[in-house]
Amino acid sequence: MMYDAIVVGGRCAGASTALLLARQGHRVLLVDRSSFPSDVISTHFLWPHGMSYLNRWGLLEQVTDVTPTYTTIDIVNDGITLSGSVPPELLREYFRDLHGDDSGVVGSYASVRRRVLDQILVEAAAKAGAEVRTGFTVRELITEDGRVVGVRGRAADGRTYEERARVVIGADGRNSFVARALDLPKFDERPRCTFAYWSYWSGFEPGRGQIHRRGRLGGAVVPTNFGQNMVLAWGPSEWSREFRADVPGNYQRALDFISPELGEAVRGGTREERIYGTLDQSGFLRPLHGPGWVLVGDAQTAKDQCTAIGITHAFRDAELVSAALHGWLAGETALDEAMAAYEGRRRSQNAAAYHDYVCTLAEMRPYRHDELQLFVALRGNQEETDRFIATHGDVAPVSEFFQASNLFLLNDAAKESSADYAVFDDFAATSRMYQQNPFA
Amino acid sequence: MPHQGADTVTTTELHQRDDGELIEEILRAARSGDVEAMARTAAEVSEMTRNWAGHIPWDDLADLDPSGADGELARVVADLTEMWEPAHLRNPVDPDEEYALDKNAYDFYRPAGRDLLARTEDFYGWVEARRRTETWQYSRVLEAAPDSVAQITNDLGKRTRGINFNSQDYLSFNTHPAIREAAARAMRDYGPHSAGSPMVLGNTRISDELEVALGELTGLEHVTLFPTGWAAGFGAIVGLVRQSDHVVIDRLAHSCLQQGARAATRNVVRYEHLNVEAVRQHLADIRSHDSRNGILVVTDGLFSVDADWPDLVTLQRVCREHDATLLVDVAHDLGSMGPGGTGVLGMQDLLGQVDIAMGAFSKTFCSNGGFVASNSPALKQYIKMFGGSHFFSNALSPVQTAVVREAARIIRSPEGDELRARLFTAIHALRDELTGRGLTCMGEPSPIVPLLIGNEKLARTANRLLFDRGVLAFMVEFPVTPTGSSRFRLQVQAGHRPEEAREAARIIEGAIADSRAYLSSAFGSAPR
Ligand SMILES: Cc1cc2nc3c(=O)[nH]c(=O)nc-3n(C[C@H](O)[C@H](O)[C@H](O)COP(=O)(O)OP(=O)(O)OC[C@H]3O[C@@H](n4cnc5c(N)ncnc54)[C@H](O)[C@@H]3O)c2cc1C
Ligand SMILES: Cc1ncc(COP(=O)(O)O)c(C=O)c1O
Repeated sequence: MMYDAIVVGGRCAGASTALLLARQGHRVLLVDRSSFPSDVISTHFLWPHGMSYLNRWGLLEQVTDVTPTYTTIDIVNDGITLSGSVPPELLREYFRDLHGDDSGVVGSYASVRRRVLDQILVEAAAKAGAEVRTGFTVRELITEDGRVVGVRGRAADGRTYEERARVVIGADGRNSFVARALDLPKFDERPRCTFAYWSYWSGFEPGRGQIHRRGRLGGAVVPTNFGQNMVLAWGPSEWSREFRADVPGNYQRALDFISPELGEAVRGGTREERIYGTLDQSGFLRPLHGPGWVLVGDAQTAKDQCTAIGITHAFRDAELVSAALHGWLAGETALDEAMAAYEGRRRSQNAAAYHDYVCTLAEMRPYRHDELQLFVALRGNQEETDRFIATHGDVAPVSEFFQASNLFLLNDAAKESSADYAVFDDFAATSRMYQQNPFA
Repeated sequence: MPHQGADTVTTTELHQRDDGELIEEILRAARSGDVEAMARTAAEVSEMTRNWAGHIPWDDLADLDPSGADGELARVVADLTEMWEPAHLRNPVDPDEEYALDKNAYDFYRPAGRDLLARTEDFYGWVEARRRTETWQYSRVLEAAPDSVAQITNDLGKRTRGINFNSQDYLSFNTHPAIREAAARAMRDYGPHSAGSPMVLGNTRISDELEVALGELTGLEHVTLFPTGWAAGFGAIVGLVRQSDHVVIDRLAHSCLQQGARAATRNVVRYEHLNVEAVRQHLADIRSHDSRNGILVVTDGLFSVDADWPDLVTLQRVCREHDATLLVDVAHDLGSMGPGGTGVLGMQDLLGQVDIAMGAFSKTFCSNGGFVASNSPALKQYIKMFGGSHFFSNALSPVQTAVVREAARIIRSPEGDELRARLFTAIHALRDELTGRGLTCMGEPSPIVPLLIGNEKLARTANRLLFDRGVLAFMVEFPVTPTGSSRFRLQVQAGHRPEEAREAARIIEGAIADSRAYLSSAFGSAPR
């Protein structure tokens, strides 16, 4: 049997792509090595545009039925707190620019355990008519005349199957098998990234999501499913070896340093699972498409977790690629044209600027005097704080916030002064202290 | 209490070792070829990591050939090591180049410390890194007159000669005999110095003639001269606007206007580039709570790094509807385009009809200097008194004034039409060749041809290559453009031959392609 599309990888990128293509009436096979429900590495925060995608696809309620949601977030940098929400108007603009319609926008965020989220997505894909095979590992791409025409893989029953399709979609994550099989190069590599360690805690109520930065370390706490909180600490990968020497001790030490209140909460709380960690997060791009194949999600662009955006980006890719492929499968556009449209969006100036923003942030250099002054200047200026948060989460273009005339005006309009913040007392000494590896 | 999920996770995993420790143990076992131990330890690795790292055969490690003969064991070891070793150890980079390419000037705008001298060092360190890596595009010097070809030295003392899109002399007046003759005559008659503020005794009769000529060119009869275009923009705004007034300004308007606005009032609204509808909304908004104070709406005519212009007819009408005043900066378009050199105002049939125009002589009129023009003699006297950069700054020199007057004469003569026709032939040749090679020229055909690059690293690297390959072009990045939208600004001259323009386009394309390869970058420059 010939499918229109085979999707390799069945999580945020893959299940969503399969779902959207199947809903448009295409014959889709979705395969994944894993079985569901199951987890995958992620601290699973969803920004409002991520939630909006779920809403656009009619899946948001299933998620929010079992997951706490919020509309305000705290971003605390060296003790300077910015609280705000992503403005609905900017969200609508985002969807209009990228997808041509702004339906279904919601302003909330949530942290959804992947065993919950991915299961909902896979079930929805199956319900939409995609054929779903879990426990199916793709081990070979079938090519004819230099064109990918299908996959060969081992199913849960241990037997090998061969399936063919008009296009194979690689949604198989950062370590993509499809990319390896095609021997694809990596572009725009940014090796400096963070190490991240997290676990699940009960026994305290943070109220809403908080993201902290102090010196070269970061931390976050977000309420998630099962009455638990995801608590994360991260730092520059240069320090990872020393951190690893005592994971539980250094995890606590990092949280105490980043936010004494958070450290205290965790000390008094109950850890419900082991501590998870990774530093496999360097940034890169891969070629997006070629004869018979196209990549989505982490398979096409991987980057550090520090802005918690990978899932939302995977959803974005799913909408972009399914719209492009639908045009081709329905005979309305040529494949080249469809792929060029996808590529135009995914490799645009705005995308480059945000990729750079994340990768630079992931180097975890201490915030500069300038940057901290900007955070002080933003306090009390809710509209611009919200716009900054929207920029940080890739709703609004980096270029619109980080524009000279805007930054100068923000400085001029400042309501607070740096006098109120300890970090400015002896900035040079503090900066030197921040460069010391606290885990050494 | 937040909502509960249907099934609560078990806590049996609580005391298991973390994945890093387990992977280290697997790697240790691999070194002694103990595939059984590898498989045993792998069974403890979390579900999360197994699902994440689908390229590791977690369930099949026991089947690996312990002798390593088929290379499989080595591949697994390499893949696991890659996951668990900091990636930067594998890809060492030149720290200077990393620093030079990663930062941008805004990172240094608010340095720390109370010692104003010492705290400039940090920025200087970055400048030095940019210089060492030959990615500092600023402060190049000319070795001879900047013709369509120029010989220059960069600030490391390195020389080059190239097709010159780096100078602003749109009608090639710098080498024009009549212009040079006018300069010589003024030099003879008045000497090199104006010796005073225009409010005292700095002006000559030539200044008066120049004011008349500019009045005729813009249709706005009351003209005031300024020592630079920057001073004209800044002076016009601070001369007119007071603390409780408002400025509504295009986000991308020139720095002299932005800084003037900030110096004049805290009530500054930046509107989306060219969006007249946004202006209307801002004006209605301001007028809904402030009917007493003034509003100055500020825009460029031809925008200097975007090569586009607003619908001034509607903008002026919207201003009048809200009792706001319009100021248009025609620095780049006056003289170089439009019927008879009347610029964007002439192209929109607005001669004599905008509230205030200001301009700079430095792009087309072959000299330093600027002006402010309107239909009001009162406004003129007011700006002379209160726009500090007129009263409290030495007047244009007699040579400069004479050059600009002669330039204004040629601009309005049939020769001006001829020069503009040649200029636009070169502009079209350049834009067509660049576009034909798949590059993106922003804006409309005009003496400014912005070639979009986007990413700063790519632009800085391409800039370094271009210098050595014989094309002189100014790379603009933050703070001139917003972050992530850097570009080359190519400024065309009437003296450019179309073949020169095409040759330059070919070289530019090559430099960009090579820079992309050098950086191994896959980003394009489509805006969204
Ligand atoms: C520490 C950390 C924290 C993060 N936190 C956040 C966050 O808070 N918010 C956020 O939005 N993003 C976060 N991310 C990023 C996010 O997890 C990823 O961007 C997201 O998982 C990408 O989804 P995907 O569908 O592309 O790939 P994946 O989720 O990796 O799914 C790939 C799937 O492909 C399957 N597969 C692989 N190979 C094969 C094969 N050969 N055959 C069949 N199937 C195969 C795998 O089994 C897997 O199920 C984080 C990442 C890290 C590392
Ligand atoms: C739009 C605009 N206005 C004003 C100026 C300032 O002119 P000048 O360089 O003559 O001071 C410039 C040039 O930099 C400009 O581009």
